[in-house]
Amino acid sequence: MNTEYIVEMKGISKSFGGVQALRSVDLELRRGEIMGMVGDNGAGKSTLMKILSGAYQADEGEILIDGQKATIHNPQDAFNLGIGMIYQDLALFNNLDVARNIFIGRELVRGPFNLFMDKKRMYKKAEEVIRDLRVDIKSPKLNVARMSGGQRQMVACARAIAFQSKVLIMDEPTAALGVTEANKLLGLIRNLKEMGLSILLITQRIPDILSIADRVFVLKGGQRQDILDVNQCCLDDVVTMIVKGKDRNGMQTPEVEYQSFG
Amino acid sequence: MDQNQHSLTVREKLSKIDLSGLKKYTVVFILFVLMVLFSFASPYFLTWRNLTNIITQNTYFIIVAIGLSFVMIGGGIDLSVGYQMSLVGVVTAMLMMVFHLPVWLAFLIGILLGTTLGLINGLIVTSIKIFPLIATLATATVFQGISYMISKANTFRGYPEEFLFLTKAKVIGIPFDVFLALIIAILVSLVYTETVFGFRLLALGGNEEASRLAGINTRRMKIAIYTICGFFTAIATMVMISKANTTNSSFGPGTEFIALTAAIVGGVSFMGGEGSIQSLIAGVLLLAVLGNGMQLAGWGTYAQFIVRGLILLGAVAFDQFQRNAKSMTRVKQ
Repeated sequence: MNTEYIVEMKGISKSFGGVQALRSVDLELRRGEIMGMVGDNGAGKSTLMKILSGAYQADEGEILIDGQKATIHNPQDAFNLGIGMIYQDLALFNNLDVARNIFIGRELVRGPFNLFMDKKRMYKKAEEVIRDLRVDIKSPKLNVARMSGGQRQMVACARAIAFQSKVLIMDEPTAALGVTEANKLLGLIRNLKEMGLSILLITQRIPDILSIADRVFVLKGGQRQDILDVNQCCLDDVVTMIVKGKDRNGMQTPEVEYQSFG
Repeated sequence: MDQNQHSLTVREKLSKIDLSGLKKYTVVFILFVLMVLFSFASPYFLTWRNLTNIITQNTYFIIVAIGLSFVMIGGGIDLSVGYQMSLVGVVTAMLMMVFHLPVWLAFLIGILLGTTLGLINGLIVTSIKIFPLIATLATATVFQGISYMISKANTFRGYPEEFLFLTKAKVIGIPFDVFLALIIAILVSLVYTETVFGFRLLALGGNEEASRLAGINTRRMKIAIYTICGFFTAIATMVMISKANTTNSSFGPGTEFIALTAAIVGGVSFMGGEGSIQSLIAGVLLLAVLGNGMQLAGWGTYAQFIVRGLILLGAVAFDQFQRNAKSMTRVKQ
């Protein structure tokens, strides 16, 4: 129970057809930290996170949650282990209101055989979650189709924390947001950390990570490069790592290219 | 800060505009307008006898449309319901008339057969991942072929009294089939608004991938809704052949078009994720009143097909418009 890491992924490999997306990747997430996940497009960030959230299954490797070996075959398994993921495309339901978006798949039930929904309790709980998050959503009865990108992110967060997730994975949450909304969301992520969640944050915006994360995990070509401590590195270190990798293998190739272009 | 406050209230106002509510009342309103129109056009229209006729002649359409609404709200479509009716109808009739099985047994086998046909649709749609439109078009043709092979194009008429009970008996003064349709409507309405299944059905129709990611077994749900559709279609078949007291393989086909039109007119979204039983029934009655009224007013039986087609177009266009309006308000923000 008292292991240092809440999540450990060991030797994770995954290929899609002939493309090897991940090559024996290890990841350790500390209890209560925010870890940034960076890497170029196609580096395998999302794939690795989707394996943890149960959307994909790894070809090889194992996952330990709280030091215990875990089997994650589908999103429900991950949920039962306390892992929540907010997808890039948000995975919200435009035809449903806020409360229903929060509780879909894990409804509060009542009555014989748990057939019926306990709407009263669902709306009340949804209102509490929104209040705890301190976000500007006026009512849990609002339809999400008419909400702004930021509000929709908040709904997705509310969904993740309504069920006491221990680990929250966020896939590019700020990508579609304006500056003000993005900053609000970063503040919210910090709040979530204070509430005790461990957070994995995939993003292309490295300054975001440097401002709120504790460590940065760098992937390149489906391989782990390094984990950098945010306090001991700067933007350039991270960018260099993303582009050139740990062994600076990439060094030669770009130089040759530069030369050939004169 | 003030400006921000202002934009919030505008946003709130926008969120309060609920077009789906408007659509619900539109159907009832058009139904009402049509009834006024026809009562001027024909003295026979607004009589007790005619109005009860309209209802009793349409109970099986209501039941089929309710079954179909499960599939449509879940984001699918079943074009084969009419042909399921053809097959279930002749099999049930032959079990009674040719094989002389007890009525209850024939009835039970018929319902089981219909449910199985729905199950087959569900399995095909979920395992071969093709459009349900095409999948059920294919099964429709297969069902029709089997129906004709079994019936050898014969007609079976004159059922036992126990079977005619379905449409001849009365419960507290209402014909049994009307009573049955009413009970089904109330129960299904409860399923849609109060149960976990109904809630997940809306989610499935609204965003299938998100439903899967939320941990819902979408494949099992899809199989379930086609099976439920088959079950209700079979019940509707019993009502249809009991009322006609005769059947052959041509009884049933065509029902899918009316049920589909009624569902869409009644606010069940063609894209899934929306629908209510009350307006669905209003949709069936709207088409029924239209057919009946045009006939009584002497505007020709055939013209009603044209009007029906136009109404279907109008309803789909309205559905599409509503979707665009929804996403537009979001973009503007």
